[in-house]
Amino acid sequence: MNDRITRRDYLRMLGISGLAIGTGSFDPSRALARGVGESGGFQSSVIARDKVQPNRANPVLIDGEVIQPQRKLQVFAETDVLVVGGGSAGIVAAIAAKRAGAKVTVVERYGHFGGLWTGGLVLVILGHIVKGPKQVCQGIGEEIMRRLDKMDGAIINRRTGSNPTVDAEAVKYLMVEMIEQENIDVFLHCWGVDAIMQDGAVKGAVFESKSGRQAILAKVVIDATGDGDIFAAAGAEFEHRSHNIGLVSRVGNLDKIDKSKAPPDAKPKHLGSATPVKGVNWVNLRGPMVDGLDVATLTRMEMNHRKFIWNNIRKTRSIPGYERLYLVETAPQLGVRITRVLDGLNTVRLDHLKNATKFPDVIGVGGASNAEHGEWQIPYGALVPEKIDNVLAAGRCISAELRMADLVRLIPNCFVTGHAAGVAAAVAVRDRCSPRDADVSKIQKILRQQEAYLG
Amino acid sequence: MNTAGPQTDSSAASAGAKRHLRLIIRCTCLVAAVLCLLPVLPKGSLMRYVPAASAFVAISSLLATKTFQPITALGFITALLTLLRHRWFCRWICPVGLCMDGVSCLGRRLKRKPSQEIQFGRLLVALTLGGAVLGYPLFLYTDPLALFSGIFLAATQATVLLSWISALLFAVLLIAGVLWPNLWCGRVCPLGAFQDLISMLSRYVRSLFATKTKRPAETSPGYRIARRTALGMVVGAGCAAAARRIGSKRTPALRPPGAIEETTFVALCTRCGNCMRACPHSIIERDLGENGWAGILTPVLSFENDYCREDCTQCTEVCPSGAIIRVLPDEKPNIRIGLPRVDMDICLLSEDRECSACMRWCPYDAIRYIFSEATYSLTPVVNPDRCNGCGACQTACPTKPVKAIRIAASLRT
Repeated sequence: MNDRITRRDYLRMLGISGLAIGTGSFDPSRALARGVGESGGFQSSVIARDKVQPNRANPVLIDGEVIQPQRKLQVFAETDVLVVGGGSAGIVAAIAAKRAGAKVTVVERYGHFGGLWTGGLVLVILGHIVKGPKQVCQGIGEEIMRRLDKMDGAIINRRTGSNPTVDAEAVKYLMVEMIEQENIDVFLHCWGVDAIMQDGAVKGAVFESKSGRQAILAKVVIDATGDGDIFAAAGAEFEHRSHNIGLVSRVGNLDKIDKSKAPPDAKPKHLGSATPVKGVNWVNLRGPMVDGLDVATLTRMEMNHRKFIWNNIRKTRSIPGYERLYLVETAPQLGVRITRVLDGLNTVRLDHLKNATKFPDVIGVGGASNAEHGEWQIPYGALVPEKIDNVLAAGRCISAELRMADLVRLIPNCFVTGHAAGVAAAVAVRDRCSPRDADVSKIQKILRQQEAYLG
Repeated sequence: MNTAGPQTDSSAASAGAKRHLRLIIRCTCLVAAVLCLLPVLPKGSLMRYVPAASAFVAISSLLATKTFQPITALGFITALLTLLRHRWFCRWICPVGLCMDGVSCLGRRLKRKPSQEIQFGRLLVALTLGGAVLGYPLFLYTDPLALFSGIFLAATQATVLLSWISALLFAVLLIAGVLWPNLWCGRVCPLGAFQDLISMLSRYVRSLFATKTKRPAETSPGYRIARRTALGMVVGAGCAAAARRIGSKRTPALRPPGAIEETTFVALCTRCGNCMRACPHSIIERDLGENGWAGILTPVLSFENDYCREDCTQCTEVCPSGAIIRVLPDEKPNIRIGLPRVDMDICLLSEDRECSACMRWCPYDAIRYIFSEATYSLTPVVNPDRCNGCGACQTACPTKPVKAIRIAASLRT
């Protein structure tokens, strides 16, 4: 009957739906909602009654193919710098851009800030020191660590030359505090899905949330998604890689374990290392090397890892002395390490580390996981796509060769690239130019003012 | 009488002039040798020529390896010239000789009598050459030029205690030179004794073919020396055979790339320290006997602080005896030093830690981390076809105090 739509019908529908959205700026259901909310009892919880979802433009099935009709998106906000992803790179980028004078908006997929640091329970701060030992992660990253120092039970092992471990909840709280202090606009539960383009330049991003598909217009977009979702959507070239995907968990009651009762040959594995919470360890998991952009793979990893973690705890509990061990939680976010990596104007390379290469456009210095080697400079070009304008990469998806990706993705190094991307975006906005043409000496000057270490 | 006076004067004067000239040349040679060996000049450029000038080393190398190493050409030239002029090298060139003469003068002033001991040197030479035929030149390391070269290891690796050992031995020789003047040069030095042998034997051989004179009696010195040398060589070959037999059970050691088969290596190595000084990353150290006493003071690799670079062949260019043969940069990836072994009891991956050091630093992309469903963790796996045992993984490994990934030596043939 009506379920078969011809192409002509489809085109006509597109026109109608476009019109509908065009006139749909006034939503009668909202006015109704206000009225309803004023009544008492159960009635007060009703926002709208007999409502039909507005602005619909449903995908339709034409000749066996699902077609997404054209539709106009609501512009949710307009900003100078839009940061997509509120992880360790994104939050630092947002704070840096705001302090450098830009209007900043952050959209974050999950309900908390910190990304893999908090949601992924990657609690150890690995990669902020180099041989010496000397701390190379300064600026806002160091500020975050200092503020954690002052909080109760937020961070342990904060000594020169050692890698501190944080409490995820403390970091989540601190990030809320910092975002509010800086007066940055944030939208949680928003999944950045597309780039808004005009003449080969990014003009904002589209994101999905419970409010539907909406747009934010921005002068510069910082892609801190980790997966490079935005620069990929914009058409920038990238390398698609597989890496170990794990799932971190926390186990408790380690202080109530009596190892003396255990048989000498019992070697319980996967018990992790200490966190600021007494008796609770965080347990890392490396997992198999798979594609983190493949949703079937992600599903399989999530389910397999969950089974393994539960069974491992059960097995360990059967060892005498370990009876009281329990699984506190598994991380809300799957531990995806590397997926897309930008093809940037410049690339972070192992040879640069070996030769201690100095870049005139240095915007940060990366560290080693265990202070086993020297510092490596990160050139500004590693954040800038080769062709697409108005988008900068920050965090693990910046341009880096395979061997260096494992260093680039470490949390402090994400702070460093985030910091640089934030400042660079603000400079580009202020000078009304593309980030590609931004004055690097200005970026470096502001980074130094914000106490970043540039070698 | 009237004419005799001036004649004697003039011959004395010419002898004096010749002595001065010789002293000047010897001092020049000493200074030149020191300059070659000191790290002031570009590494590896000239140091090879000092120990390679030894005819004793050159002939032993030829006998032991049965191949001609280009670097030994210098030693062969020395040997050929000795046929023309007996001990010319000792008198005009040898830097050790000059030092020994100096201390012998001091000894004579202290009224020490020159030693009249038996000819150790000829015994050393006969045994070494005999052993060399079986690929085991027993006492090649007693070569004076090798010892002299070894002194300067202390200049490049002053902080390593063991690098002073050649300097210490040389100091002992100098003291012995004061106490027993002329002991070293006259009676012990195998290079001197070797030159004696060459000229004596050549004279003897020449006399055998001489038709004008009578054939030499069986009691003539040439005959006796030829007989003793032959006997010594037979004994040397016997000792070498025994040594090889013991050596065949020896566990392989981490030798510089291009090192020849282990048993021959420990004997053919002169302990001159050239390879250690040539190494730009100072990863070659003296063996303290960890790989058997026969190999004491030979070069072994240590990857604790640095690794054997993929494009570096400097140590292979300076070996005077062919214990380390020349490796071309293209061949380097295929020259096996050893293979890494992973100790999963201490590897950070067994604790699920975020470490990728060995994989990152491997210049040959030979390491992969394999995930096991059984242990639910990663294990580093080495591809032996790509790996040459350069040690980059061991250097990079962050575990302390023992590295989780270490290079185990491979058998060389």
